[in-house]
Amino acid sequence: MEAELQTHIAFHLTGRRRGGQIESLDELRLLPLPFAGYRNLAELRYDFPLVLFADGADEVPVQSLSGLIDSLLQEVAQGPDGQRLRRHGLRLEQEIRAVASGTSGRVTLRTHWDAAASRLAGHGEEPLQDSLRRLRAALKRDGEVVDCDEDMPFRLLRHIWAVLRDRNARKARDTIDELAIKLSDILAAEFVRTDEGLSPEWLKAGMGSSHQNAFDFAVMSRLLSQAAPKTPLPEGRRRRIRWLLSVLTSQRFFPASKGSDAPTAAPYEFVFESCAEAVDAFRARLPEMTELAKALAMAELEVEGRYNEAKHDRLFDDFASNGLSPQELALFPDYLVLARPDEIPAALNAFAVGLPAKVLVQSDDLLQSSALAGDGLALALGTKHLATTAVGLSAVFVLQSSSSGLMRLRDQILRGFAYPGPALFNVFSGASAGAGALPPYLIAAAAAEARVFPTFVYDPSAGPDLASRFQAQMNPQSEADWPLQEFAYEDEQRQRICERLPFTLIDFVACDRRYARHFACVPRTKWNGSMVPVSEFLGPQPAPSEKVPCLLMVDDENVLQKVIVDVKLIREARRCGEMWRGLQELGGIRNSHAMKLLAEERKAWAEQQQPTRSNGGGATMASAAPAATAAASAAVSEAAEAKPASDEPYIETARCSSCDECIQINSRMFAYDKNKQASIVDPDAGTYRQLVEAAENCQVAVIHPGKPRNPNEPGLEELLKRAEPFL
Amino acid sequence: MTIAATECLLRMYDERYGLEDYQGGVPRWCTGCGDNAILAAVQRLCRDENLRPEKMVFVSGIGCSSRFPHYMKSYGFHGIHGRALPIAEGIKMVRPDLHVFVNTGDGDCCSIGAAHWIHAIRYNMNMTVMLHDNQIYGLTKMQASPTSPKGLKSNTTPRGAYLDGLQPLTVTLGVQNVSFVAQAVDWIPELLYDILSAAFHHKGFSFVRILQRCPEWLPNLFDPWMKDPQRLLLLHGEGGLRISPALSKAYQNQQQHDPSDLNRARELASVIDPIPVGILYRNTDVPCYEDLRRTGQPRSHDFIKAGLEAEFDKFTVWPQESGSRTTAA
Repeated sequence: MEAELQTHIAFHLTGRRRGGQIESLDELRLLPLPFAGYRNLAELRYDFPLVLFADGADEVPVQSLSGLIDSLLQEVAQGPDGQRLRRHGLRLEQEIRAVASGTSGRVTLRTHWDAAASRLAGHGEEPLQDSLRRLRAALKRDGEVVDCDEDMPFRLLRHIWAVLRDRNARKARDTIDELAIKLSDILAAEFVRTDEGLSPEWLKAGMGSSHQNAFDFAVMSRLLSQAAPKTPLPEGRRRRIRWLLSVLTSQRFFPASKGSDAPTAAPYEFVFESCAEAVDAFRARLPEMTELAKALAMAELEVEGRYNEAKHDRLFDDFASNGLSPQELALFPDYLVLARPDEIPAALNAFAVGLPAKVLVQSDDLLQSSALAGDGLALALGTKHLATTAVGLSAVFVLQSSSSGLMRLRDQILRGFAYPGPALFNVFSGASAGAGALPPYLIAAAAAEARVFPTFVYDPSAGPDLASRFQAQMNPQSEADWPLQEFAYEDEQRQRICERLPFTLIDFVACDRRYARHFACVPRTKWNGSMVPVSEFLGPQPAPSEKVPCLLMVDDENVLQKVIVDVKLIREARRCGEMWRGLQELGGIRNSHAMKLLAEERKAWAEQQQPTRSNGGGATMASAAPAATAAASAAVSEAAEAKPASDEPYIETARCSSCDECIQINSRMFAYDKNKQASIVDPDAGTYRQLVEAAENCQVAVIHPGKPRNPNEPGLEELLKRAEPFL
Repeated sequence: MTIAATECLLRMYDERYGLEDYQGGVPRWCTGCGDNAILAAVQRLCRDENLRPEKMVFVSGIGCSSRFPHYMKSYGFHGIHGRALPIAEGIKMVRPDLHVFVNTGDGDCCSIGAAHWIHAIRYNMNMTVMLHDNQIYGLTKMQASPTSPKGLKSNTTPRGAYLDGLQPLTVTLGVQNVSFVAQAVDWIPELLYDILSAAFHHKGFSFVRILQRCPEWLPNLFDPWMKDPQRLLLLHGEGGLRISPALSKAYQNQQQHDPSDLNRARELASVIDPIPVGILYRNTDVPCYEDLRRTGQPRSHDFIKAGLEAEFDKFTVWPQESGSRTTAA
């Protein structure tokens, strides 16, 4: 017993097997326990494969097969045979998944669908045929099907980028075409006033052949020439319009609209494989971009007739001397760079020089072989610093995810592409060299689950602060250090055992054949109580003595095996855990600052509660005082609202309905203000009689004549009586 | 799409317009006419929104109110009786960049133009429609209109009108796709301005019925309501009007109303006394016809020509096909 423990501890500490009590993992085809249920993915319902739809107006450019089937069933599976349709729909989905997983290359959903349907229909009865027919009729959109493989991240992101780029390009193209048409209209309108435009030949050509003999075009030309306006288009404006037209029609940033037969140069390419190439292209095109942005701004003013040479010429001469603004850059397509992890520093540099790029960095291997070889021991989790870098960059949209989680982040990906600035997408494909036969989806999902490649989004457009910009809560069990999973198995006495075990970096590394030497399998006969789960070695407390960490794995027959883990991996897992804690902090999960503040506030609140309870009346009295003050101040302000003395004539100007009655009586006494509402501007410019008549005639009774200013005016007594209702 | 630099330049050289930039001649309306109040409110609105005169068009039919476009220094179309709305719709369709206003009277809109009115509501095209409702034909010297109250004596109803007047608000609120309905009175300029401003900012067919005094033919029609502020019911609240403290003091009969509540709006629209004033209904989700039908295809000369040719070809008699020579008509 003692000797066994010694052997186990020796392996744990040194990584060397001595004696035959433990076996190397190399020959055994073991899998970490959590993988036992996922041996055949095609039988499971999950996010993949995806369907990349060709653009359909404003609809989503990508959907998972299961999501698509769900929405079809929601539409079709109604009524008494809904249950049957649903059953058949799900069978069909499983069949499509099986067909798709066995094929490679670019195949459309309809092709897979038809293949799967014919496989099912071969041994199906009439109701199945009916279900398949109805579901097929409801399928409106088509697109390429992609499974979760090495090429998927590139294809998916490139597809989304292209769909959004095409939508924007169509809008930009329409704007450019419309401006060009309007500019041409100005020149055309000018042409018909010229001698050539008014010549008999031109007039005749415009009439059409049927009625040409009915007109004398020479006379028509003479008459029109006499009546034509004599102010030609200024030469400067004509030159400007021609220049604008030449820039707008020769641009190469947006492809020509469909149906246009005008000869145009081939549009620029915006997809690159390295940031350096993209930066070079961007720099080379910058003068043209500036010219087009300038032409668009000038053309907008020109077609509105608002281009003022005196004001605008100088500004446009120095247009974009400080570089194009983000809004102007947003007019142009973004550059898409599809790169490998070693491009990250280059991407960050490219962002710094203002490259409006969306960069996709794809990693296929998170555990490169060199990393564990030397004594330095550092897992090459190459992109682990990206989260803090993202926060530091502040104006770059950053999204990190395993390929398995991309579908669930679809909306965030769309936001990233729509973000008016650079964006970096860091994706782990799962197509790792050491994964053996395990599908990339599982490896990618395991990387996310084990906190090796955690998911996060940093979206600068989401708000001004870190709390609204940084999201990490989409990670599995994001509150926990390691996600706990429940496993049930049968022991030798055929009893069901349930255990909740954390999924850690060690489980992830255990999938990789290249690192088998860090594990040693203990035969069942040698199991003992000192073999404890690895989680006991990963907590904050010191490692337990006389214990060895061990992992549960399963073999091809799904028989449970225990595997000892060496200390290097334990150390690495602890580091990975710390890194995850850092990310949690950024994402506001168990944030130490917030928790500290909360504790302080709670303490302060508790202390505050103590005296308040003993002195209950204080608060009420305190709150009553401001109310009284407010009421008093309102009363004061009301008192201050003084009306003019009734001796003076006045008009309630705000109520005047601009009806002209008073103005008609005396336009020197009454006048309109800037809102076309009347007031008395000079009470001495007319008689008291006029004031009284105006008051009587006023439709809305807002004129108050006051007291007579001239005591000698005739008929005052009668007038005063008439004025009484208006005082 | 307005290019950022253009926006910036326009702001830099923003031209401010004054009231006089919108005043086109001295109105020929009778002294004391409520139309003057509407004109003043519209001109103030244009000035405050700094609308460019060349970017506005006022369309009208026939009647006193329909002289409105003459008094605005902008584009205008004094149309034919009852046909203001189809003309305005045509303008909006081809020139969506223009602000379209329609001025129509109770005879013009609710009698001869009633069919166009109903369909214009359904089309929900983005324009501001002012129904100058003085409840009488004024230009032709006092004949009963569809909105004249029961018992009103006029040249065409010497023994008094036999029927209850048509209520334009209930009609409007009963039509599919209605998106904005408000009622104003010409004698409270502040409210008239606020309601017109809300109508202008609403994207869709904004219908404002304005009760308008006719001092010439029905000088005392609205006296009971003008003299007793309690007989006006001011609608206010979230999404509706905000009533100033001064106005609140004068008109204390007020009610909270949620303009998204169509059923309550319909109830209020049927109330004749007190007169409800404010925004009865507003729904920003109704699509505009011009947006639904916009293809996004730029209208080049060739495009328009091809479209016209295709239309004309439908009516062309081809000599080869008919087998006989056709002569020009």
